[in-house]
Amino acid sequence: MSTTALTRSSRVAPTAGPAPRRIPTAAAAILTLAGRRAALTSRTPRQIAVPLLGPLLLALIAGPALKAATGGLRSHIDYASFIDIGTIGLLVPLSCIFAGLSVIIDREEGAQRELLSAPVPRAYLILGNLVVALGLAALQVVVLLVLAAVRGAHFSITVAGMGWFVGAVLLFSVFIYAAAEALASRVRKQEDYVGAVPAVAILPFFFAGALFPITAMPSVLATIAKFMPLTHALALMRYAFVDPRGTGLHAIWGMSNVTAEAWLSLGVVAVFAVAMMAIAVRVFSRAAMK
Amino acid sequence: MTTQPLNGSYEANVLASVPMVAVDGLRKTYAGGVEAVRGIDFEIAAGEVFGLLGPNGAGKTTTVGMLSTTIAPTGGTARLAGFDVARQPIEARSVSSVVFQDAVVDRSLSGRSNLMLHARLWAVPPREARARIGELVGALGLGELVERPVGSYSGGERRRLEIARALLSRPRVLFLDEPTVGLDPRIRHELLDLLADVREREETTILLTTHYLDEAQRLCDRVAIIHRGQIVALAAPGELLADLGDAVLELRVGGEASAARAALAAYGVPVETAFAIGSTLTVPLRDTSAGDVIAALDRAGVSAASISSRQPTLDDVYLRLTGDRLDAAA
Repeated sequence: MSTTALTRSSRVAPTAGPAPRRIPTAAAAILTLAGRRAALTSRTPRQIAVPLLGPLLLALIAGPALKAATGGLRSHIDYASFIDIGTIGLLVPLSCIFAGLSVIIDREEGAQRELLSAPVPRAYLILGNLVVALGLAALQVVVLLVLAAVRGAHFSITVAGMGWFVGAVLLFSVFIYAAAEALASRVRKQEDYVGAVPAVAILPFFFAGALFPITAMPSVLATIAKFMPLTHALALMRYAFVDPRGTGLHAIWGMSNVTAEAWLSLGVVAVFAVAMMAIAVRVFSRAAMK
Repeated sequence: MTTQPLNGSYEANVLASVPMVAVDGLRKTYAGGVEAVRGIDFEIAAGEVFGLLGPNGAGKTTTVGMLSTTIAPTGGTARLAGFDVARQPIEARSVSSVVFQDAVVDRSLSGRSNLMLHARLWAVPPREARARIGELVGALGLGELVERPVGSYSGGERRRLEIARALLSRPRVLFLDEPTVGLDPRIRHELLDLLADVREREETTILLTTHYLDEAQRLCDRVAIIHRGQIVALAAPGELLADLGDAVLELRVGGEASAARAALAAYGVPVETAFAIGSTLTVPLRDTSAGDVIAALDRAGVSAASISSRQPTLDDVYLRLTGDRLDAAA
């Protein structure tokens, strides 16, 4: 093997050279990454509109029709409004799964390599995407609720109720977006990712009491539903806007204090959100690092 | 390995003569046991342009992947400006930039948006970023393109943008991973001119991987020839070529060239540096002359279909060391 000693090029004046190392703050890095994702998302309006379509039809047409056909829930809760909230359990997963698709596009088009070579922790790449996914989901939920209200939904909104609602939507969105990121990091092709949408976004919708109370299901299925974060999130959202007595929360916990039940359900959704986010960061980091 | 992590300034780093890139026993074995890089060592001084030369599959891109912290080494160490790529990956990334083989820019965003994104991620202050973008856009001929979506750029234009992006943060170490692959010959030569200009203007250490010999000869202070994950030669291009003398004689013989090589040896021609590939025998004229070789062939009764003399190239160096032709393998 032929070698020469380490040499320094004489044409360079290194002492006047490149700047010292600089690393962005966490906030600056996450906002930059979120800004990139927002800019890319704004160029694909279908990502905003498509997830809304199905849930809107469900809320505006199927809900009132089901109420008329079945006679409603025969309780203090308006069935059409019950379904309006239930459709959020479809809207948020569809929105977040669509957002997760962009991770695969980044990978396929190569942009992810630039992001991976940036001097930021890899978890920030997920957090930057999450900020935009949450904003998008929030926008879509607001559109759904406004249109439902225009149609005639009965929402009783209080400050406390708003807190429960926002907390439930936020934490559930974090959970489902983290699941989308983890899935996008695991599968190699868009086709495989799209193929997993029914299992991740649609199946839980039918078991979590979105269209009917979980007590209407066989007891085995009702028990399974109590372990699903969507069941807790929907019960909280209804407690916040259409079910002030907390019937859905009581069906889960069977306690006498509805506020305690609400805190417990919020805790369950939070635990799922944190755990899934940790999984997403781990899966993404491992997949990114060959 | 004698390098230490840096706590001081870049100037202190340079004054202490810490190599900008220090690779010691670096190794990568992929799942399934594929040994892509098998324990390589090299150092690159501040301001040096270093070429990693080898065909596809030799381990070049895996090496750059480990140095840019996107591939986890399975052995050895590597440091960029003193930062260990495995233990201090964020610091190592903060002092480096990569121009990848494939496009990594966001195609639906404008060139300027892509540049600003890089500037923010590398924490370049906004005012400095704007000035630097203006400087690089001018130097790389991107003035009329920079506000357009990158999706409308040609391959050469996009590569120029990616070079501008990589230089924005004034990296101490710049990785150019086969920067001209996939470009047509005219654009490739334009890009080489541009890289030569970058080399003169930018005070940065460059690691260039390529399987194009002319790129290595034109741009690099030193080159390492990598073959099947191992460095088989490391020197200045001129020194590598000097091993072969001022000229080589290329003979195309009727049968196996290795038989002709043996015949030359039997008639006293020094053939230690000669190499035979198929029916072609290449004899460096360092310790012999063309006349001696042709006379020996006559005496041995070996007929040659063609005989030509030419200057040696890095391809000859590579061929002699590995038995493979770079262009054919690439």
